[in-house]
Amino acid sequence: MIAQIMAVTIFVVMFALIVSEKIERQWASLGCGALMIVVVFGICMRSGTAIWETLNFREFATVQFWYAGGMSESVSTGVNWATILFIAGMMIMVEGMGKSGFFRWLCLRIAKAVKYKAVPILISFMIISFVLAMFIDSITVILFLAAVTVELAELLKFSPIPVILAEVFCANLGGSATMCGDPPNIIIGTSLGYSFGDFITNTGLIALISLMVVVCYFYLCFRKKLVQNTCEADATSYPEPGSAIKSKREFGTSCIIFGLAVLLLVTHAMTGLTVATIGTGIALITLLTSGKDAGTLIRKIDYKTLLFFIGLFIVVGGLEKTGILELIASVIEEISGDDPRLMVAIILWISALASAFVDNIPFAATMIPVIKSLAAATGLDLSILAWTLAMGTDIGGSATPIGASANVVGISIASQNGHMIGWGKYCKYLAPATILVITISMIGIYIRYF
Amino acid sequence: MEKQIIIALGREFGSGGHEAGEILAKKYDIPFLDHVLLQKIAEEKNIDLEILERYDEKPKNKLFSRTVAGYSSALEEHVANIQFDYIHKLADEGKSFVIVGRCAEYVLQGNPALLSVFVLGNKETKCARIMRKYNLTEDEAYRMMKRKDATRKNYHNYYCDGKWGDSRNYDLCINSSNFGVEGVVGIIDDLIKRRMESVGDQ
Repeated sequence: MIAQIMAVTIFVVMFALIVSEKIERQWASLGCGALMIVVVFGICMRSGTAIWETLNFREFATVQFWYAGGMSESVSTGVNWATILFIAGMMIMVEGMGKSGFFRWLCLRIAKAVKYKAVPILISFMIISFVLAMFIDSITVILFLAAVTVELAELLKFSPIPVILAEVFCANLGGSATMCGDPPNIIIGTSLGYSFGDFITNTGLIALISLMVVVCYFYLCFRKKLVQNTCEADATSYPEPGSAIKSKREFGTSCIIFGLAVLLLVTHAMTGLTVATIGTGIALITLLTSGKDAGTLIRKIDYKTLLFFIGLFIVVGGLEKTGILELIASVIEEISGDDPRLMVAIILWISALASAFVDNIPFAATMIPVIKSLAAATGLDLSILAWTLAMGTDIGGSATPIGASANVVGISIASQNGHMIGWGKYCKYLAPATILVITISMIGIYIRYF
Repeated sequence: MEKQIIIALGREFGSGGHEAGEILAKKYDIPFLDHVLLQKIAEEKNIDLEILERYDEKPKNKLFSRTVAGYSSALEEHVANIQFDYIHKLADEGKSFVIVGRCAEYVLQGNPALLSVFVLGNKETKCARIMRKYNLTEDEAYRMMKRKDATRKNYHNYYCDGKWGDSRNYDLCINSSNFGVEGVVGIIDDLIKRRMESVGDQ
């Protein structure tokens, strides 16, 4: 009992510290992780095994961690090293791509293809935001898309706010479509042993249907606003896509590496390569082909996020080992009775609501053992709960300015350039869109799985 | 005015620092930047003035904002940074001005033309001034003073290394209750002259 109280206290303190931003979130999670090891595992439980299992170093020594060979990937508890390696690998690849000018080139190429018209820019940037976010972290996607949007908006005299809002929403939606699109999905996939193919055929399908609906929704919301003040600029002032490419060799290499990463991810269930292997391999190829810039790429890795993940996994491991998450699962089970539909609805809407206000990564990491317990107790297929959790956490974050990283970056870039996006303006358009997509997800899950 | 002079005035609410700044700006015929700064920014950058005013000199709401990889969703922070950049730009262009608040003494730290002053006052004198100016009861004036000062302090201390009103961060701290607004103006004026002379000697 004392171990459970301590575990919950440490978890709540970690969340409070993350929200308050008093200290950087990686120190909050690592500090609380250390407390969990010393106080809960060491003093309260006196269990060296619990510490060892939560730190999960032995995972590196197993063949299944690197090569699944026809079986599903290893199911992970404690620190999810596969997630850490994969994210680190993608960070290095994305840094290399950004440096070569790939993203800016792509945005400008699309703008040129739609003849620099505001409404077609809105629609095409939404689609490209969705597609890129399927494979690349949403922060990078919005970083480049929003910057180009502001640039084009100044040139064509339209407000970039509607386009940035739509891009942000579609980046979060695209992230929900694949296993590697959003951190909660990577954690869900690697923790429960699902493949890229599993995600794309389940959450991917829901995301695609939702994309079609939200494109119409944002078109109806913003078309008048975009057409109002738009003017034709002097064609010579349009930025040339080619100007974004700093080195043709680097650009070509980036395109090949990105293509390879997509190919490896799409086929990883067939090849047996795990996401840990793919992340490590892509990072090594990027570093080997970047020559003297390799050091810079390594230095640019977002170590803070990786450390945050490690601490977070330890804290959630503490909740899991002390049985707290099973308690939460039993409460959900009790409320939903024998109705699996109600259980799905509860997980979906609570995940969405929580993710709208708190970081969806700790929430998803906490909920994974909960849905595992629920599936075991009720006999409901775990995958249904996994897709429900993924959609809830990925999409719920779009509802408020603080719900997801892409939202914060989009608002920040717009505001830095004088286009202020407050809570009112943001929620007016994106909260209804979130409710719309969560509803579509719920109906989709009901129709397909029940 | 030939030599550049920038007077950054920090002030407690009700101390008369704002009024002293206005008088000094008139005397030296240089721009007085309070919320006028926002109007200038709104015109130049085509930003909605109402939004700038809503988030002006306010600390960010930590519960309703988030920072990711150095990017912040807090509009208070963006409005503050836009103003800081603008203040820097004016100073770099060699312009003279009087500015109240907006962490100017910190933002322009190290600028040889800067003269930083903090105007404070006794509770009773400040309350009396607020009651007269806003037609409030003593209790209302006191509460307003406390609220405004807390906001200014939080705003200042969020962006600056030094604390709001800490004498170590200013060239001069004056208690307006002891000297009156005219007295404050006179002391700053004297200081400006001395500064000009010392710049001239160098």
